[in-house]
Amino acid sequence: MRRRLPGLLLCAPAAFVLGLCFVWPMLSLFRMSFYEGEGGTLIPAWSLATFTRLAEDPFVRDVTLDSLGLAAFCATMAVLLAYPMALFLFRTTSRLRGLLAIAAVMPLLVSGTARVIGWMALLSDQGLINQLLGAFGVPTQPLINNWTGVRIGLTESVMPYAILALIAGLGRLDRRVEAAAASLGAGPLTTFWRITVPMTLPAISAAWLLAFVLGVSAFITPKLMGGGRVFTLATEIFDAAMETLDWPAAAALSVYALLLLSLIVAAHAALTRRAGA
Amino acid sequence: MRGTLAVGLLGLACTIVPARAQAPGQVVLMAYPGIFQDNYVDTVTRPFSQASGTAVQYFPTTNSAQMLGTLRTQKGDPQVDVVIMDTTTAAAACAEGLVEPLTEAEMPVLKDVHQIARQAGGECGPGVTFDHFVMTWNTQTVQTPPTAWRDLWNPAYRGRISLSSPPDIQGLVLTAVLAHAETGDWRNVNSTFQKLREIAPLVQTFNPQPDSYTLVLNDQVGFATGWNARAQYYRDQSNGRLGVLLPAEGTGFQINTINVVKGSKNRAAAMAFVTYALSPDAQAAFTNRMFYAPTNTQARPSAEALGRTAAAPESMSKVVAIDWAEMVKLREAWNQRWRREVIAAGGR
Repeated sequence: MRRRLPGLLLCAPAAFVLGLCFVWPMLSLFRMSFYEGEGGTLIPAWSLATFTRLAEDPFVRDVTLDSLGLAAFCATMAVLLAYPMALFLFRTTSRLRGLLAIAAVMPLLVSGTARVIGWMALLSDQGLINQLLGAFGVPTQPLINNWTGVRIGLTESVMPYAILALIAGLGRLDRRVEAAAASLGAGPLTTFWRITVPMTLPAISAAWLLAFVLGVSAFITPKLMGGGRVFTLATEIFDAAMETLDWPAAAALSVYALLLLSLIVAAHAALTRRAGA
Repeated sequence: MRGTLAVGLLGLACTIVPARAQAPGQVVLMAYPGIFQDNYVDTVTRPFSQASGTAVQYFPTTNSAQMLGTLRTQKGDPQVDVVIMDTTTAAAACAEGLVEPLTEAEMPVLKDVHQIARQAGGECGPGVTFDHFVMTWNTQTVQTPPTAWRDLWNPAYRGRISLSSPPDIQGLVLTAVLAHAETGDWRNVNSTFQKLREIAPLVQTFNPQPDSYTLVLNDQVGFATGWNARAQYYRDQSNGRLGVLLPAEGTGFQINTINVVKGSKNRAAAMAFVTYALSPDAQAAFTNRMFYAPTNTQARPSAEALGRTAAAPESMSKVVAIDWAEMVKLREAWNQRWRREVIAAGGR
């Protein structure tokens, strides 16, 4: 006990901040999901009415599937795009390695809103890409204010996180095994598919999960690039909280989203454990 | 308890209270930011301060929902004295007892406030500005100036239209105005949704970003829905590049109410400020600057300014009398129908 005390004391500030900034608000959120709301007015209660209403609404089911599908697509694309970059950054012995790593995660230094505004300038009907296409006689392509725009923006948005997770996980890649494969006659492609990829699977899996979780909870990109056509759990929560003032619904949807993500993360952890066993 | 719950719900760091203690002879006003703030300070709060000696601290807050969040978090210890917010949100604040009921006995200027503005506030603070729903269009790239909403049902405008869909209030007003034009009853929306389904494929965005006026000015779209006051402001700023139209089918009011926060530490000064804000002079000055129609029937803005608001007699006849208390009840059903019937038909 005496040994544990200093450790507990060291954890106390972080635990206090976590409790104040996360646990307490989440408990409050949980409590509010049982309130009743009428025309924006909050009525304190212990009622399951909001949960029942949401459970019976097929739109919530559709939004859930759309959110998960969008996040899965963007996480997959982000990992596919990030993997070669991370592998290069891991292997390169260039003096510019640090600089290149910073460049790869540079988007994180810019606010999400600013990045989205940049995409809007590029992808709009009068944007740079459509101007270029127009120069070759290609008619205007709707690249924004729809699902396409959100997929592009969100993939770019989560990619830096995927790169960081992959770089962190690539430490498990033992170059000697690759060299051994090559010495036994394996070509570069065979070595990549049969040695490199399997050895980096845990990193790929972790990067995908991180990008997926961020994708499910993303708000700015679907809201700003979706043109009002893309509904996700995050945009629904925003609309309920800020537009229709249905705070119990916003709280209930938040609790639902949290539980959903927790389940997915737990399932991923179980699968990873089983694969590792 | 409710305050902490509100923090938990929204994480509204932006609703942090004005970081100073209130001094006597001082009023904290919570209202909209940006050009509303700039012009309201110039035409209303500064003259009030000069005349009364009471300082007004303007606490800009992005939208009415955040204002409601602030009032809820501060219920036990209000740091704001007066709030200007949208009528639908103010109704919730009034019902929750976050703002005070006002009576003519205590505030005689209420006698001169337009009946629509009084009804908008219920027993609490009345409407302080009338704004109305308009169509904006790019006068440089649109060849044929529009006269009515029905002009937009034109395949030539595919991808050139921005409609703000519900839950944005503009989408609700558009639905009500079209329903009124078609059936004479703004609540009778079945055939209106059929019409909206037809225009949906022509729409570029149902959620203009950063706002509809910018999209029109940059020619990202040719036509958009908007609010008159801001549209008139941008029309002047752009030397007429932004056209503003009160369409033939009519328009609806968006009403901002002014309220004294319950438990205000500067109640007397707050009441004095609200009285001034509703006075003919302040109302006329703000109309002359920003083209919100006055809610005080005795206000006498310039003829030029008045002509650019819905208060002009020829415009007033086009205002559809939307009962916002009833609209709040219909809002969710209309919101769902927009998503399932209109936006779903407007794939891009």
